Amino acid sequence: MIEYFVAKRREPYETLAGKLILATSIMLFSGSLLIGFIFFKFNEDILMKNLRRHGRSEADLVSRAIHYGMLTAQYEAMQHTLEVLATSEDILDIQVLSPRGVTVFASDPETQGRTVKMSQPMAESIMGREPPPETITTKEGEKLLRFLLPIRNEPACFTAACHVHSERERVLGVLQTDFRTTAIELTRQQMFRGTLVFGAVAVLSASLMLILIFYRFVTRPVAELELGMKRLATGDLDTPINIKSRDEMGLLAETFNTMAQDIKRYRENMEDWTRSLQEEVDKKTAEIVNAHEQIINAEKLASLGRMAAGVAHELNSPLTGILTFTHLLKDRTPPDRKQDIEDLDLIIEQSERCTKIIKGMLGFARKGVSESMETDVNELLDATVEMVKNQIKFHNVQIWMEFVEDIPRLTIDPNQFQQVFLNLLTNAADAMDDRGSISIATRVVGEDPERYIEIEVTDTGPGIYPNNLDKIFEPFFTTKPVGQGTGLGLPVSYGIIKKHGGDMTVKSKVGEGTSFFVRLPLKKEGEETG
Amino acid sequence: MEPGKNILVIDDEEIVRISCTRTLGPEGYSIDTAEHCVEGLYKLKQKRYDLVLTDFKMPHIDGLELAAHIVAKYPETKIILFTGYSTEGTALRAVQQGIYHYMEKPFTPEALISVVKKALAG
Repeated sequence: MIEYFVAKRREPYETLAGKLILATSIMLFSGSLLIGFIFFKFNEDILMKNLRRHGRSEADLVSRAIHYGMLTAQYEAMQHTLEVLATSEDILDIQVLSPRGVTVFASDPETQGRTVKMSQPMAESIMGREPPPETITTKEGEKLLRFLLPIRNEPACFTAACHVHSERERVLGVLQTDFRTTAIELTRQQMFRGTLVFGAVAVLSASLMLILIFYRFVTRPVAELELGMKRLATGDLDTPINIKSRDEMGLLAETFNTMAQDIKRYRENMEDWTRSLQEEVDKKTAEIVNAHEQIINAEKLASLGRMAAGVAHELNSPLTGILTFTHLLKDRTPPDRKQDIEDLDLIIEQSERCTKIIKGMLGFARKGVSESMETDVNELLDATVEMVKNQIKFHNVQIWMEFVEDIPRLTIDPNQFQQVFLNLLTNAADAMDDRGSISIATRVVGEDPERYIEIEVTDTGPGIYPNNLDKIFEPFFTTKPVGQGTGLGLPVSYGIIKKHGGDMTVKSKVGEGTSFFVRLPLKKEGEETG
Repeated sequence: MEPGKNILVIDDEEIVRISCTRTLGPEGYSIDTAEHCVEGLYKLKQKRYDLVLTDFKMPHIDGLELAAHIVAKYPETKIILFTGYSTEGTALRAVQQGIYHYMEKPFTPEALISVVKKALAG
């Protein structure tokens, strides 16, 4: 069997499922990365907003906490308040700055009196606007959120007892509150890590599930299909692919199975066809061989016929001499020498019989003109037996005769029927290997108007096999060794019997013997001999 | 008895020639024999024959051809053709050649005398 599929081990990334899983995992990974990033950014944004709001409210709280102190100019209490507020974990530093950027009050007293660098938000807040919180990194690397709240002038201020500020000043200073973002930063980092871990777990579990799903719905059915195709390629058409699912794989398997069945049917049809073709060829070959044998036999017979005709012609002249001189001798014999005359008559009679035999032989070669006459079958059989019993062939053959008395005469050609009986006797002797017994019987059978004379010739030979029984009347069928039988004896006899309106049948039992039955019709009442 | 009638027997078989001579001689016929056609034709030239008996099958020349020749050349000479086994075909051909008598071999003396008489009478 041709190996259609070279068994090749494939790496996992080479398989369909492997490719799909890899591609999906990459997509899943990038997707979750993107989603995680967006989620993270979104959360960070919320966190920052919350931080700002929280910071803003705390800055506001600070401003309100020191409001009274400033109004009443209770600077020490205010300083204290600032210091207390700065102890909050969230707040690093609180400063109250003059419009010129000088630190007037600070939670850290050491920074009091310093001038801060002017910046854009600072300028904005001095102008009376509230800038958005600013992210600052300290020298120590700590991230801060700086809120700048302008301290606006109000009646309570310029009417205060201290008279520090005039009514014309719009902004009296700036409250700078620095918030620590450390906690938020920590949360952010945690959130980032969480997102990352979650994403990784999600991608991994999704990939695992994908692998399982692919194995169940793709890899396994594909392997099953591949196996089925290999089986098909090696000629196994009987094992179907067992995929029961109703998806495309199932459909593919079903189509494949149908195809395999079709191929199987076609193959069987073709095998049937080939077989019947082979049978036909064998039959025709046998017919040709048979026909060839028949041609050879026919040729043999034709040359035999030619030889017989030649011999017959050659015999005619000496027979003429024998007949002539016997007659002359008989004419010369004195009438009182009866024995001599009888002997000479016997010579004449036998010479005439020879003449008829020769004519009969020639008659077979051509289309014989039969000479029918009223004949006593018993006498004819007697004469035939007389003729054969002195032959060497019949020396060890016992011949039993059982004839019906007063047998009705038959209008037949005695010469031809002598040949028929001769043939039957010779065949019987041949069958018994010239050793055994032959019984000949005659009887009248049937009722008027269908009456027959039946002649039975039975031998004690080995019998004829049933499959040969049908063939024995076929021309050229013989079981005798090559060159001994022409296969024409029985067919010719059969033809003679048929020509006389009779029939010949055979019964045989292997190991016991064979009986031939010749039936010849008796003339109906009143029918003329013609 | 029809003495004086000349008969020529042409047959390659000596036994046939002797048989004819021995059968017809005592009947008063004058019998000559020839072994083959050439001899027969030679004898026909020498003598006038009333009847020629010839075999249908002979070496060199077909008996039928010989008979046709005799019929043409010696119209007054009768011919009896011996045949081995007469078929309708040979009989028809013989009649077409102008031969009215033929005889099947082997024959008995009686049959031969009867046919010869019939031929010479006709």
